[in-house]
Amino acid sequence: MSDVILLAHPAFGVFGILAAVWVFVEALNAREQNAARTRLAAWVVTVCIVTAWILGGYWYVHYYAPDKAIILKGPWPWAHTLFMETKEHLFFVPLMLALYLPFAVRDTLFSNKAARNMVLAVAALIVLSGLAVEGAGAVISHGVKVATVQTGVKGVE
Amino acid sequence: MNTNTAPNQPPLDRAAAAFGLAAAIAILFNTVLAWVKDVYDPLNRFMASLTGHHWTTHGLADLVVFAALGVIFLNTGVVDRISPNRLVALLVGAVILAVVGLAAWFVLV
Repeated sequence: MSDVILLAHPAFGVFGILAAVWVFVEALNAREQNAARTRLAAWVVTVCIVTAWILGGYWYVHYYAPDKAIILKGPWPWAHTLFMETKEHLFFVPLMLALYLPFAVRDTLFSNKAARNMVLAVAALIVLSGLAVEGAGAVISHGVKVATVQTGVKGVE
Repeated sequence: MNTNTAPNQPPLDRAAAAFGLAAAIAILFNTVLAWVKDVYDPLNRFMASLTGHHWTTHGLADLVVFAALGVIFLNTGVVDRISPNRLVALLVGAVILAVVGLAAWFVLV
């Protein structure tokens, strides 16, 4: 079950990022005809990022401690001290933006340039901060791997 | 004269403006809370005692700040005095400060 949660967490993060790209494209081409689709895309972002938060948070609180100990004893201790410490707090940035996005798309984007700029900015920030969080997750995962590989090599010797 | 908006630029939807400002402040609050609890362990332990883990409390605190400020700004005239373009700049600036502030903190401290 732990592995399912661990894999579902970044998967929903990626779905949220892709949906944010969808919102960005819809806002770039804002017309009366795609207003409902833009709002739907914004809700998809919110649902995906909130799901990633709940899954990742549950895994972090219940299962991360052993991995943290492994990382800190391995050759990449900064995978925790820098990347996990930053990631666990940086995650709240795309979360706040994803919660805000449905409010931002309430406006008539096709006739309100400032509202369109707001949606474009928020969607772009979700994509960029989301990619940073995904990248940090990859480094943390590799921090565990290099630690266990090193231990395994030493065990063989 | 407001130099941030074109003369005929329509304002943002009131909820969009209120919760946009709330999001910017919640993002900055999140960053400052991360710094403070990193250097002041009693706060970290207190937050952990509330929900079982400091990170869970941290996330819920962010949500409360976002929702509460959004409702307050929606029911007051605060956002009416901020131009739409300035609000966009505030939100983008808050995110940049948060990203740089968090990464730099855990590199340097």
